[in-house]
Amino acid sequence: MIRLERLTKEFDGLTAVDGLTFEVEEGEIFGLLGPNGAGKTTTVRMLCCLIKPTAGTAFVGGLDVRKDAIEIREMCGLLPEAPGLYGELSAYRNLEFYAKLYGVPRSKREENIKKLLKMLDLWDRKDDPVGTFSKGMQQKIAIARSMVHEPRVLFLDEPTAAISPEAAKVVRDFILELKHEGCTIFLCTHNLDEAERLCDRVAILNSRLIAVGSPSELEKSLGLGKTEVHLERVSEEIVRAVEKLDGVRDVEVLGNKLLVGVRDPDEVNPLIVETVVGHGGRVRYVTRTPHALEETYLKLVREGESG
Amino acid sequence: MRADRIWEIARKDMASVQRYRYVRLGLILMPLIFAVFIPLVLIYPVVAGEEAPKDNELPPFARPGMPSKEAMVAGLIDMATLMFMVIPAAIPSTIASYTLVGEKVNRQLEPLLATPTTDLELLMGKCMGAFIPTMLTTVASFVVFILVVDFLTLPLFGHMILPNLLSAVVLLVYAPLISLLSISWCVFISSKVTDIRAAVQLGALGVLPLMAFYVLFVGGILSLESLTLVAFALVLISASAGLFALGKVTFQREKILTRWT
Repeated sequence: MIRLERLTKEFDGLTAVDGLTFEVEEGEIFGLLGPNGAGKTTTVRMLCCLIKPTAGTAFVGGLDVRKDAIEIREMCGLLPEAPGLYGELSAYRNLEFYAKLYGVPRSKREENIKKLLKMLDLWDRKDDPVGTFSKGMQQKIAIARSMVHEPRVLFLDEPTAAISPEAAKVVRDFILELKHEGCTIFLCTHNLDEAERLCDRVAILNSRLIAVGSPSELEKSLGLGKTEVHLERVSEEIVRAVEKLDGVRDVEVLGNKLLVGVRDPDEVNPLIVETVVGHGGRVRYVTRTPHALEETYLKLVREGESG
Repeated sequence: MRADRIWEIARKDMASVQRYRYVRLGLILMPLIFAVFIPLVLIYPVVAGEEAPKDNELPPFARPGMPSKEAMVAGLIDMATLMFMVIPAAIPSTIASYTLVGEKVNRQLEPLLATPTTDLELLMGKCMGAFIPTMLTTVASFVVFILVVDFLTLPLFGHMILPNLLSAVVLLVYAPLISLLSISWCVFISSKVTDIRAAVQLGALGVLPLMAFYVLFVGGILSLESLTLVAFALVLISASAGLFALGKVTFQREKILTRWT
């Protein structure tokens, strides 16, 4: 659905985005991760045809960002970092204004606005000026605005930044619902937990592309994964046996929990369970360490910075 | 160019600016000053005065070929008519500052730029959003001005002195051109400032060349002959076209997102 070919952007001799090449499949949630100033917003702006690449190009739905700006903007929705709503206008009027600019026919317009406001639980507030809404509600309206013309591709720039955990959950659930409806979602975020939860694949960016793949693939490629084995009781014998397994990097004991560094969880986790049970251990449950993407991300970005 | 998109942007801007007290105040005060206050203060005392000025005391703008009192009043009406050019110069600077700088400051431009509208459609929509209320206010004020002036001067002249050629030229030719000039100037200003009040103040600088023109008439250096009026119209057309072209160059997606400070 989206293909970047050596996409580059320079501002006054400074390279903001340097030769990005990767693809995003139709219907997937793709995360773009990177530190501040890494070029995430610039990349999104180029893909939405708001700014032109200095070199290289990109294709959205088969159309070239250098040549087919209007057609690409018609098929895309954008949620920028700031909601940028018209505070003095009602929620309904904000959405209606954008629906008209996107050329949505009248009957479809009313249907879409109603559907989106109901999905986001804001139908009862449709006539209120959005300036009176909370930040979370405004963010919901901004998301509805980006969806009002039923885009095939949705670009979301930090969709849950600066909103409450409750509102963030509603937004995340909404993003998943959009994916189920077949929308391709391109998500820029600093929130690595969110990326891990939502994204099928991620790209890590620091002007240049550092890595691209699913969170688990990246984790596996760096051998940073950790498996948590929660036991009824941990014994020395169990720890030693697990340490000896092929593919186990290290073992740490935290109370009744083993924290096992593994290179390939799919291969090694069943062996760990077998070994624990074989040595008389009772397994309560096994899980992957949370924040695995965070560790992967930090390692990759540091490696990228050191060249 | 799609007229429905341009109209929608203009309609939204007209609805949005109504909430600003400063804009509302301008839309009410300007007509009051120019349509009611100036005729009452400037023209009425001369009409009501018992003594007519002597011929050698008449100012340069007095209308020739009339008795001195009528010449003085007719000249004052001409000057008051020319003053009307301030309305289409001043109102757009307020509206366009709020809809351009205001939207830039409130970060409302990026989602707008992401829509499948062209740069020219967006610019035209923004211009129309300032142009329509300006012209409506100017025309409404002018109607009130004509009624007030005719009411005050009917006993003196014995007929309605307005509308005349000058008022028609000011209303139908100068006012739209000055409005466009002022809006284009504001588009340019908007790319340079991040403060609405600064934009309004810099936008008001657009009035200065008109004041110069006005002073030249009052001082008698220019006379209100057809040739002068045509020449001034040509100056306005050239300046409006030039500034609109500059505004068009300034109002481009990439520049708005990356260069507008």
